[in-house]
Amino acid sequence: MQIDANKCVGCGQCRPFCTMGVINFTRSGKGTKVHCYVDEDECVDCGICYRAQVCPVDALHQPLYGWPRSIRGTFSNPLAEHKETRVPGRGTEEMKTNDITNRFKRGFAGMAAEMGRPGTGARMREAEKVFMALAKLGVEFEPNNPLTGLLKDKTTGEMNPEVLNEKVLSAIIEMIIPLDKVIPVLETMERVAEEINTVFSIDLVARTDEDFSVPTARIMNENDKWFSINGKINLGLGHMNVKGAGVK
Amino acid sequence: MSHTLHRRGTEANLQQDYIVFSMTAKGFNEVNSRYALQEFLRILDKYEHVNMGDMKTGGKFLVNKDQIINNVADTSIVHAVFSDRKQLRDALKELKEADLGVSVIVSGIVEHVEQACQEAGIDPHTVEYSVGIRGKLARIPEDELLEITTMCGHGMVSQHLVRQMLLDLKRGKRTAQEAGEYLATPCVCGVFNPQRAQRLLEELAEVWCFDEV
Repeated sequence: MQIDANKCVGCGQCRPFCTMGVINFTRSGKGTKVHCYVDEDECVDCGICYRAQVCPVDALHQPLYGWPRSIRGTFSNPLAEHKETRVPGRGTEEMKTNDITNRFKRGFAGMAAEMGRPGTGARMREAEKVFMALAKLGVEFEPNNPLTGLLKDKTTGEMNPEVLNEKVLSAIIEMIIPLDKVIPVLETMERVAEEINTVFSIDLVARTDEDFSVPTARIMNENDKWFSINGKINLGLGHMNVKGAGVK
Repeated sequence: MSHTLHRRGTEANLQQDYIVFSMTAKGFNEVNSRYALQEFLRILDKYEHVNMGDMKTGGKFLVNKDQIINNVADTSIVHAVFSDRKQLRDALKELKEADLGVSVIVSGIVEHVEQACQEAGIDPHTVEYSVGIRGKLARIPEDELLEITTMCGHGMVSQHLVRQMLLDLKRGKRTAQEAGEYLATPCVCGVFNPQRAQRLLEELAEVWCFDEV
């Protein structure tokens, strides 16, 4: 995102919308505020300052960036749709359609590290550290996740070096693992977390057992691992005969 | 992985916050699913909700409800937010009876959602938990602000905007309701809960001290 210095009147209305807090004031020699500018290196191109429509003089402008800068917008702006997944946002359909796709089968868990969430943003070099730590466990990263597509080597977790300095609001390292790998993966995430200069949020998915208990809850409790009271449940109401789908 | 999973809060304030949403699976049951997704929203609209939206069009604090429903596409992800468990339960009952065939997902306190499912005659299929935040925790804002900002899972509600709303509230420039609804506008999916934000802002305004303007 850029701000046209010739148009900007320095009202600062756009500043609080910035998810990264990187819209600053330029100052005159006397220290008075002159106009706003975006620290483009720290900006993730989420576009919210522009979409908020608070600029009284239309000074905000989203340039069409080329590779590799272009990935900032596709990962950070929720209105951008990834070509690979056709899912808007940053991840995949994951458990949201598991009642149809059976992506997460009994005996397996889905885990993810949502890099940069909440609200901190992450450089890809930080994501690479987590990828590489997890790759040593032999996990297979979700092939349909757009972040996986930026890996140079899926077995080592090395990313395309061209993207390492790019910063995004969040990007998701996603994998499916056998249930007995949940704790080793979690502990690996906890170890590598000490080496990074950002944060990540952790997701844990499982299909319910036949008695409707949740195997991952059992594993976490048995190992004295904390998880939130809050979660997400797929109700299993999906099927192939969608009502009205035959209507032309 | 999930735009509604990592809402932060206490049991007391999370129990005012349940998101019901729907989508279809690409390459499976997506074609012509927009009619069922529209019916999904029409059903939820019968019950008392605090937000509604489709990320392709926007939330109800950005565009009107008819626009949201009319613009639904096969690839949409459509949402409504409830603050009352009885309304949630009744909406789920009607969704089950409607048998739309689209996937339905509910985010909220897992135990409460499971109970609502049981009362609606629904057996949960898959469960996802939030396992917390790791890394350089000094870089994230105060928990009280996170309880508000994480209601937009795409991170579009900036901590700085929440601080601005608190300042406006303390200065008497906005009411807590106005501030809560204003904070819902950056969230294009319509999953932000302005009513819960209002309550959190009211509590915070009492104790918050500003070292910034």
